[in-house]
Amino acid sequence: MAIDTARVEKFRKRTIDGQAFKRLVEAGLTWLRTNQQVVNALNVFPVPDGDTGTNMSLTLQAAWNEVKDKGTIHLGEMAASFSKGALMGARGNSGVITSQILRGFSRGVHEAETLDIDTFIKALGEARDTAYKGVVKPVEGTILTVIKETANAAEAARGSVKDAIELLELVVKAADESVKRTPELLPILKQAGVVDSGGKGLFFFLEGMLRHVYGESLETPTVSVQPISAMSLEGAMEEVEEGQDYEVVVDFVPNGELDLHGFYARLEEMGTSIQVGEGDGMYRMHIHVPTENRYVPIDYIMGIGTVTKVAIENLMAQMDDIQKSKSTQIQFGAVEPGNIAVVVVSPGTGLSRIFASLGVAAVVAGGQTMNPSTQDILSSFENMPTDKVIILPNNKNIVMAANQAKDVTVKKVQVVPTRTVPQGLAAMLSFDPSGDVEAVAAKMNKAMSNVKTGEITVATRSVEIDGVTVKDGQVISLLDGKLVASADTVEHGLFELLEKAEAADHEIVTLFYGGDMSHVEANRLADAVREKYSNLEVEVQEGGQPHYQFILSIE
Amino acid sequence: MGEETTSLGGIHVSPNAVATIAYHATLQSYGVVGLAPKNLADGIVSTITREPSRGISVHYKEDEIHIDIHVIVEYGTRINSVAESVANTVRFHVEKALGLRVNTVNVHVAGLRISNTD
Repeated sequence: MAIDTARVEKFRKRTIDGQAFKRLVEAGLTWLRTNQQVVNALNVFPVPDGDTGTNMSLTLQAAWNEVKDKGTIHLGEMAASFSKGALMGARGNSGVITSQILRGFSRGVHEAETLDIDTFIKALGEARDTAYKGVVKPVEGTILTVIKETANAAEAARGSVKDAIELLELVVKAADESVKRTPELLPILKQAGVVDSGGKGLFFFLEGMLRHVYGESLETPTVSVQPISAMSLEGAMEEVEEGQDYEVVVDFVPNGELDLHGFYARLEEMGTSIQVGEGDGMYRMHIHVPTENRYVPIDYIMGIGTVTKVAIENLMAQMDDIQKSKSTQIQFGAVEPGNIAVVVVSPGTGLSRIFASLGVAAVVAGGQTMNPSTQDILSSFENMPTDKVIILPNNKNIVMAANQAKDVTVKKVQVVPTRTVPQGLAAMLSFDPSGDVEAVAAKMNKAMSNVKTGEITVATRSVEIDGVTVKDGQVISLLDGKLVASADTVEHGLFELLEKAEAADHEIVTLFYGGDMSHVEANRLADAVREKYSNLEVEVQEGGQPHYQFILSIE
Repeated sequence: MGEETTSLGGIHVSPNAVATIAYHATLQSYGVVGLAPKNLADGIVSTITREPSRGISVHYKEDEIHIDIHVIVEYGTRINSVAESVANTVRFHVEKALGLRVNTVNVHVAGLRISNTD
């Protein structure tokens, strides 16, 4: 790593006051956010629904919002504000623990104007003690263990470190080692072949501070060059940030050896979403920049090599097109004043269309990997000309947000806790817009249990759960949310699932095929199912959901 | 629910057994520092009030499982997030152990413990 030694020397001489602390935690937050997906991916269940990284980032973001305009140079005051923000914004289990760690830290530095070695050690100890006070039976091998071992390492080093920066180096190293040991303490981690996600998140937060001292990049997870063919430029489109309106792609041949670190550092000053690819001595650079800077990367690269090709695109215009094409096709029925309106959460356009045809008044986009917020749900029905609303969350992770929407609105809202899309569809079939809202919800609640839900997806890591062994990249079958089989092809997974669901004893199977499955292939598989189960009625519908090749409704 | 019928006979899991699972799951949840005796005034028939199920009531209604948990939460945590994680943890552990679906988990925050003031 390119450590800026002059910068580190400056840091060693300086005292860490409130303002310096603020910059350190900002760096920690930025680095955690950069690696958010890495943390999310450490989830122990093989379906992509991890959210530890997101929850920790949002918690620290709330903490940052509290201090970002604070001008105080008093360390204790700054840390107190940061801790208060974290407490109020704590999301999820890892977020709550993070907020307690910060609360303890803040108590440890309460009186201090600057962060010296003793204060730092004391504050880490307080962070550990406060974190452990919040639980009766602590589970080891989690973020709790990481803060404990980190604080213990700091205390053991008392007297042997020269300055706060050296202590920070030691702390980051201790956290790293502690995270690596978590699978030894928590068997489920070892079984899934991962380290603890919360602990890893805490490590990134601490490492971000150290990287700030070292003057290292906080925006790119690790400086790396990929083959040009592997650059995923379409995916990058979806992460357009405000003010980064132009996408610039430049192909070039550098003059001599390209200094990657210098190159990245320069690009980071210009924009975001940086990717660099290499093939046969030729490089391709991808970046998002503000409108006024759209020619800056080209000029810069012309200075360090020979530019062969340039492409500039206006992202905002492209985004508008995508938004338009997404929203034009679905027509929702108008809600009669005083009637019941149903709001559903749907993971795909095809499914949204089916819900619309069943009389749903509004759809909130969301699902396994993109949980909508309470606010998203709330705003979908707030302006409707009725005060009777039924919400179908269609995912177990969204039920809570739906209930919160119910609690904060003045409208009479009922949540029918559908945990899957087929349950939501089954519930919709017994919907009566002019009935009594509670009675209708009760009827829908009953109807949703008449259906079994099957899901076919691809495992994101190797794991063994409930006696089913899954390898990374294998097709897995879930029945009512439980892993029942793994297979090498979607077809095998589908048949395994139908057998486990005892499909022969049922009447109708509906296959909702996902966004990455073709119509032709879906129909071919449906024919294969019809052939095997001759007494079963098989329907095929476009679902359009991401990640899941098929969602099945078995009645 | 709480019952499963096979060709060999039936399995019945008592509410007390479910409460024991819920009890351990609750105490492992971050932010919970204890359980509170449940309020006897709430109408529905609650079962035996012995140690593991103190603060926890489990009842079966037709084929549904409902769990009520009365907890003491550490002062200074975000109560909403703690309660949410208790509900998730309890549901996960009970469903994993029983293989049956839990319909509702209600978390009642009966009090806060102040161990430190900032």
